[in-house]
Amino acid sequence: MSLAAQAPRFRATVILTLFVMVAAPAALIIYQSFLSAPFFDESARISLEAYEFILTDPEFYRALWTTTLYAVGMVVVAVPLGGLLAFLITRTDLKGRGWLEPLVLVPMFLSSIVLAFGYTVAVGPSGFVTIAFRSVFGAAPWSIYTLPGIILIGGLSHVPTVYLYVASAMRRLPSDLEEAARAAGASIWRVSLDVTLPMVLPALVFSAALNLLLGFETFGIPLVLGDPNGILVLTTYIYKVNTIFGAPTYQVMAAVTVFLILITLPLVFIQRRLLRHARRFAAVGGKGARTNLLKLGGTGQVIALSIIGLWLLVSVVLPVGGVILRAFVENWGEGVRLSEQLTLANFQRVLELPSLSRGIINTILLAAVGGALAVAFYLLVGLAGHRNHGRTGTLLDYSVLIPRALPGLIVGLAFFWLFLFVPFLVPLRTTLFSLLIAYIIVGLSYGLRIIQATLLQVAPELEESARTAGATTFRTWRDVVIPLVRPGLAGAWAMIMIVFLREYATGVYLMSAGTEVIGSLMVSLLTSGAMDQIAALSFISILLTAIGLTLAMRLGAKIHD
Amino acid sequence: MIDRRHFMLASAASVGALAGGLSARAQELPTSYPADYKAIVEKARAEGVVSIYTSTDDVQGRPVVEAFQKAFPGIRVDYNDLGTNGAYNRIISEAAAKQVGSDVVWTSAMDLQMVLAQKGLAEAYKSPEAGHLPGWGNFNDMLYGTTVEPVGILYNKAQLASFKLPKTRAELLAFMRDNKDALKGKLATFDPEKSGTGFLFFSNDAKTMPDTFELVRAFGATEGKTYGSSGAMREKIVSGEHWLAFNIIASYAIEWAAKNPALGYILTSDHTAAFSRVANISKGAPHPNAARVFLDFLLAHSGQSALASVGAPSIRTDVTTGLNLTRLTEMANGNLKPIPVSTALLEPTEPKNRADFFRRWKEALRG
Repeated sequence: MSLAAQAPRFRATVILTLFVMVAAPAALIIYQSFLSAPFFDESARISLEAYEFILTDPEFYRALWTTTLYAVGMVVVAVPLGGLLAFLITRTDLKGRGWLEPLVLVPMFLSSIVLAFGYTVAVGPSGFVTIAFRSVFGAAPWSIYTLPGIILIGGLSHVPTVYLYVASAMRRLPSDLEEAARAAGASIWRVSLDVTLPMVLPALVFSAALNLLLGFETFGIPLVLGDPNGILVLTTYIYKVNTIFGAPTYQVMAAVTVFLILITLPLVFIQRRLLRHARRFAAVGGKGARTNLLKLGGTGQVIALSIIGLWLLVSVVLPVGGVILRAFVENWGEGVRLSEQLTLANFQRVLELPSLSRGIINTILLAAVGGALAVAFYLLVGLAGHRNHGRTGTLLDYSVLIPRALPGLIVGLAFFWLFLFVPFLVPLRTTLFSLLIAYIIVGLSYGLRIIQATLLQVAPELEESARTAGATTFRTWRDVVIPLVRPGLAGAWAMIMIVFLREYATGVYLMSAGTEVIGSLMVSLLTSGAMDQIAALSFISILLTAIGLTLAMRLGAKIHD
Repeated sequence: MIDRRHFMLASAASVGALAGGLSARAQELPTSYPADYKAIVEKARAEGVVSIYTSTDDVQGRPVVEAFQKAFPGIRVDYNDLGTNGAYNRIISEAAAKQVGSDVVWTSAMDLQMVLAQKGLAEAYKSPEAGHLPGWGNFNDMLYGTTVEPVGILYNKAQLASFKLPKTRAELLAFMRDNKDALKGKLATFDPEKSGTGFLFFSNDAKTMPDTFELVRAFGATEGKTYGSSGAMREKIVSGEHWLAFNIIASYAIEWAAKNPALGYILTSDHTAAFSRVANISKGAPHPNAARVFLDFLLAHSGQSALASVGAPSIRTDVTTGLNLTRLTEMANGNLKPIPVSTALLEPTEPKNRADFFRRWKEALRG
């Protein structure tokens, strides 16, 4: 067979493999939801019992309602704030915007379980700040374990997601319209609302849809902050349903997941649409438009910096500071002097415990080595889809969408089953490969987007000229495309590394002795209430993320879309 | 540099010597063990690994695991802390896939362990240590209780300084009723919905103590909060957010109170329930001999001492480290009421009984 004929075959093989990897867990979940018992149980038969149960369970409706409020509330908090921050940092002459930008993105890189834990120990009812505040003012007038509290924290932590999309849209805008408005005497506030805002509306709508989706799938924040008051969202309902029954009720978990998919899949489709439109819209600006920054003026600077400072304080300093402090103390409370309590005991214990110290090593391995393997895999998929306008290209498009609609917790559970019951996968179950494969699927859409963006930077002319000169598709990829995207791949690796570092939900059901990872360990430690270890692990997680970020910046990773 | 290498060599040598000494000692088995036990140990060593599915967190499990590895070098312990439900779910999934991964199952979910036995997923094995256990701690030579852990009260001394502390269950009820307003939001207890342990405690209380739902009602009236773990409650009592938590694992409370002078514990003198971490060998265990050796070690004097050293009191009466059954019975004024490892554990897990319990629980919790 000629080399030229191999490219379609390569494309079809890669894309079909991916499709199976993505569809198998989803199909298993859907099948499980229509059974009366775990699918592997002999007594299992086709039944609608699970749906009957959830549809008559008031707890389910409450969780559904709470989830909706949470998702919408998150959008209401995150979108205006993210938009405002993006405007201030990209369109104005704000002081220090160069170093503010990476800071603004920090919450995005941290695992939400770490963030939530940070809030608990900082501003929870027995948090450091709460206690200090109470000792001065007599009472602390906030409560983060309430739905509004959870929504606020969820919203604040998703500001960076909005920021990313809106900022990149704003950067592409020419500044002549804003300048014209300014010259005509409009205030900066007026300019931002009447000129900039309409032009980035598609990006705002897109990030709203994205946050809505993330809101429905959220797990870490409600798990940590909602639990003490019994506030359940759909994902935590799924997680808790086993305990409520006192026996495995996989069919109920699956049925709730199917509901979740019914909500999230349309959102995924809407997003895809919006993204296309947004790109088209932004292209109007044309290339090389000169951007002149809007002058904020003295008062403007102060106000703008105060807004950003306050947001940073609440979204970064409080949770991260809380984790750092809690990691180094064992006792605190009213009348306890923290300076006398400083200790390394929490870390000592983590290092002494084989499962926890192994968890740290595994997390690093999965992020660094696994991240590289994932990039290689995404590159294969990216190449298979690169300028592929055939049927397999469409299949690829849809394959990428499926895992977006599934919460990581469930992807992990489905893979646990696949590794248990699919004979040739069995030997992998107790190795890190099982986690890596699940991580690759969970990170698929994000990872592929980075790779695709990199691949698209290679001008088609280059590929075409290679092809005209007689090179096969493979040769073109090997000699033209891959060398050109290599620097982009290093950046992509760093970004995937950070994504894998912060992952926690996927491993909850999948990990076993020897394959522990930090994030999932924290989820299981939450059940036993081992806060000292959680604090130490959170601290280590933050540290690793910081290292990953530094590396990413060194490698010139493109955080922007 | 040289110094450092010397040091490393020296420490390597001492570790080697230590291991050598231990392995020599490891051959000494109690005389009460059957004559062929050495052969079991040899086979266990050939298997090389024992895999534990447990709900006992690493901190508490480590001393006994380390003691085991010292006593039986060459048998690696794969220690999986999966939580009670996690362990149970994994066991039945793996059994269905015919890929049993657990050798020994060791969890505090006495009821789920009994369900495993009922489903035929536990292997009968007569441990040579069985004679040291009380009758209620041995179910058909299949499930063995390994600890006796009282259920009691943890409180913040400073916050309750002006109150008369309840010493009995009846006083606890009166304490809640009489101070309903002062205690608003200040009480905590285990959540039977979130935690299997909580369910075990309260369903057992409901069976053995007629005033259980009265107590829950009084607790509900103070707008108390429920938690999924003793550790989470400790955190809140330490910080002063809650003042008193009842029906928590009191063996932990005793340890915490010993370390932190701000905390106090109470074992109610008229009735103190106690549960036991139950261990069994899995049917079809991949390392059946290592499983036996580990189970025996859990029950043996040395294993029990290691457990008792980290706040999991010994179910035996002859262990002097930490607390044991005799000492706890004294501390509970002779009224320690361990939950027996018996088929009676199955009753509350029946879907109908479970639903009934939760209906009454929720109704009472409204206050």
